[in-house]
Amino acid sequence: MKINLASVDSVIIYFGDEISKETSLIVKQAYELIKTSNNKAFIEVIPSYNSLLVSYDIFTFDYETIKSFLENLLKDITINDSEEKSIITVDVYYGQEVGLDLEYMSGKTKLTIDEIIQLHTSKVYDIYAIGFLPGFAYMASVDDKIAMPRLENPRKKIPKGSVAIADNQTAIYPKDTPGGWNILGKTAFELFDKKLESLSPVSIKNQIQFNSISKEEFLSQGGVL
Amino acid sequence: MSGFEVIKSGIFTLLQDKGRFGLTHLGVTNSGVMDEYAALMAHKMLDNDLDTNILEIVFGNVELKASVDSVVCITGAKCEFFINEVACPTWKTYKITNGDTLKIGKVLDGQRVYLCVKNGFDIKKEFGSYSTTIKEELGGLNGKQLKKGDVLPFIKSNSMFGNRLKQIHIPTYDEEVLTLRVLLSYQEESFAKEEKEKFFSSQYKITPDFNRMACRLSGEEVHSSLNGIISEGITFGSIQIPKNGQPIILLKERQTIGGYPKIGSVLSIDCFKLAQRKVGSYVRFEEIGICDAQNKLKDFYNIFDKE
Repeated sequence: MKINLASVDSVIIYFGDEISKETSLIVKQAYELIKTSNNKAFIEVIPSYNSLLVSYDIFTFDYETIKSFLENLLKDITINDSEEKSIITVDVYYGQEVGLDLEYMSGKTKLTIDEIIQLHTSKVYDIYAIGFLPGFAYMASVDDKIAMPRLENPRKKIPKGSVAIADNQTAIYPKDTPGGWNILGKTAFELFDKKLESLSPVSIKNQIQFNSISKEEFLSQGGVL
Repeated sequence: MSGFEVIKSGIFTLLQDKGRFGLTHLGVTNSGVMDEYAALMAHKMLDNDLDTNILEIVFGNVELKASVDSVVCITGAKCEFFINEVACPTWKTYKITNGDTLKIGKVLDGQRVYLCVKNGFDIKKEFGSYSTTIKEELGGLNGKQLKKGDVLPFIKSNSMFGNRLKQIHIPTYDEEVLTLRVLLSYQEESFAKEEKEKFFSSQYKITPDFNRMACRLSGEEVHSSLNGIISEGITFGSIQIPKNGQPIILLKERQTIGGYPKIGSVLSIDCFKLAQRKVGSYVRFEEIGICDAQNKLKDFYNIFDKE
């Protein structure tokens, strides 16, 4: 663990130098510890793959005292994967009219579209970070056989609800936006919903599994082709 | 509903407050006023709660008609300001009565004008803040900028309160080169000594890519030994250095995480000054230490503290 200065009122804590499940588990553990310390002086805590950014009230802590406070709070941190994680199932329609890159991926991977869908739905994914857009959850890792680099020419508009892959990560686009990920399908699942008190049904604590549904089911859930 | 009727909205007028906090872990940006000095001073002059809302007006051309009595305060960029066609100086409070028309014409020096009413506009917070973030459709009036026909409600105030800021406290925004104090931080170690020297000895021009999200600069290239980094949390004022070596200062509506190396971060007080600078004007960087920086920031907020 290493604590670096980030700005006049924030520090960044690094828990490792690479993306790995172990590092991510430590980040989540540290995030929980900081959140549950219920200290009002913590203004923002942003978890990501291998780090936590902590913004704090400079009228409560200075740089030296926040560092020692965090070092002390996090000193005994160990990987704890035994905790129950709630798995959220996300229904996806993997039809070619919404899975805009399925055919391209099939050509690249020499897999049939059904095999791609089977591989994408067979794993339970961890959430490594949420950002880029509100509710945009970076999930990993997809099976190596369907890992795909980003498109060379990003699309001007990726439709809201698109389920996509970039390298070994997968994600759901919470709104229409430009983007370069490979699109496999579409979901009616809302990742950013002002009607929810929590704004988003997912947090880094959740795990996600995708479930293949028919066009009829997708439409009945409010999905838009 | 009584308050202001929006006769002319201007092209980019937003309701703001200090920002929306505690949701960055979901990718929700902080948003908030770009120039806290001007906004907080307006609230202080009205003896308002510092957390209340205010209009942030870019490019002027705003006209508001009052249907109830109150007191207003206008600060920030120097602009043409009229009450019932009578020109009035800014950084001052004014009593207004039912039927009065307030007009903000051209912006003359600076970029952002702030206008607030006694006790703020009577609207609902959304997820803890009044701040409008258009890309998230959060805050303000339906998550959007002001438009003609909108009503900005406020509660009648008969306060006789009058206040004018002393000239010495009114900033000007026209010095040739704005100095931004920088804390070396984040990946600063990945910038070689010569790169840091270039960074601190050059002047950078503010490009047209300057908005509530970020300010892109152009000038001497600086390079990190890193190609990219694992995406991590970004703080207000962070200076990203992308591959082209041209610094980007991240501001109130920044993305919450990002993967460019960062050389450091601009002291927030100086970001507030930057918010008033024109495209095409120049900035330079100067190093500051953390103790000094925190003391400066405390001094800044202490100005607005109520005794």
